[in-house]
Amino acid sequence: MSGSVAEAPKGPTAPANHATSWRTNRKLDQWIAFWSVPFFFNVFGLVFVPLSWMMPPRSPSSPTPHIVNFMHSHNLLIACLILTLAYGLAPVSNACYLIQVKRMSVSPAFRYSMMIGAITGAIVGMLFPMFCFGLGAFRPGYSAAVLTMLYDFGYLAFIGSLGCFCVMWMAFGLAIILDENNILPKWLGYYTIWQYVTELMAAPVWIAKSGPFAWNGLMTFWFAMALYVSWQFIVYVCIYKAIKNQPDGELDNAPPMPQPVALEVPSRTSA
Amino acid sequence: MTDVAEGSAAGVDQLRRAAHTRGHVPGEASMWFFVIGDLLIFGVYFVGYMYFRGQNHQLFLASQARLNVDIGAINTVVLLTSSLFVALGTAAARAGNMAAGLRGFWIALAFGAAFPLLKMVEWIPEISAGLTPGKNLFFMYYYVMTGMHLCHVALGLVIMCFVIRHLKTSTTPKISFVETGATYWHMVDVLWLVLFALLYLMR
Repeated sequence: MSGSVAEAPKGPTAPANHATSWRTNRKLDQWIAFWSVPFFFNVFGLVFVPLSWMMPPRSPSSPTPHIVNFMHSHNLLIACLILTLAYGLAPVSNACYLIQVKRMSVSPAFRYSMMIGAITGAIVGMLFPMFCFGLGAFRPGYSAAVLTMLYDFGYLAFIGSLGCFCVMWMAFGLAIILDENNILPKWLGYYTIWQYVTELMAAPVWIAKSGPFAWNGLMTFWFAMALYVSWQFIVYVCIYKAIKNQPDGELDNAPPMPQPVALEVPSRTSA
Repeated sequence: MTDVAEGSAAGVDQLRRAAHTRGHVPGEASMWFFVIGDLLIFGVYFVGYMYFRGQNHQLFLASQARLNVDIGAINTVVLLTSSLFVALGTAAARAGNMAAGLRGFWIALAFGAAFPLLKMVEWIPEISAGLTPGKNLFFMYYYVMTGMHLCHVALGLVIMCFVIRHLKTSTTPKISFVETGATYWHMVDVLWLVLFALLYLMR
């Protein structure tokens, strides 16, 4: 997904004394969170597309034998295993957005909404489908009716839950627009608004079973995806620039200041 | 919103007010980015709608006949009037007449607020008559597109409240902020005109 920007990490900007190793880079934490994003999305993409063919979404009106065949596929079990391991990366990836939002001149409410929104969204949009699609392959004895329900549940959780991310990205977009520190460009805030408004378009998947508003439809899936994927790339480049331009003095994880009074303070190793 | 406008347009504004007769892009550039992109997105919806309308021409025509064109037409007039007062208010504010500018935006807000109310008057009988989004593809498009537009109207009303607050409380109101709000409201108007033509009128 994040191909073009996901090349080998070109040494993040080192502080003035370039000879020091990358380990002393004071933005190391941010860069790790940052590079976890392409890694996470690549794993996500590989699992969903070539490994399991869960995506692009199959039709909600597929005949039952097709659904049963698909749900019995062993690749789904492997996909679920990989997703379980990768799930923990979601919070790490979100950290790189949140650190930048923290620098903005807006209420912390925006940051907290994003934080909790990302987690609740990931549970519904990632864990729920994972369990649904994994169950069929786990025990092949389930009846066709049960498998069809899991299939519906899985896709509705994955695509029908996009609304969960709506408020989260709304908080992100508004924070960018209202921010006076110009951490991220204003137009990105407006782009974010389009992105979350198209996520609202996922609501009709609960009604339509075929056509452009079904969960594999032109309007609800393909158009929303086209807007989302391009947005994800652009937001990623903007975050890269924001981290790069962040002055060292603004970093939260400032090293312990040299203490004027010689008190024996145990050195803090983790920030 | 107010704060943003104050931040970015501080010094430029005096110049702008002096030079407004020479012509410039009204409002902030980022709002124009939003307007153009939003029109493109709606453009994609419209193309999609036209494609599926071509596929099911009879169904779309029959369903269209069940819409309430009267309320649609009243809503068009309401929005156009609201837009007119936004334009008059902006022109007055530009000319330095803040009281007239404020009056224009109050009237525009009142007309704008009538739009969602009329929409409810339109939707509630339709939904009770079984014309829900699940009825057929036309009604799905109808509710999704007018619903999206209604979200834009709601946001526009909020923006207008900010403009009014700004005109009321600020001693030297930023014209660029007033223009930004006006630009957005005109976009809402343009979108409705296309929607009205596509959903209610086209035969």
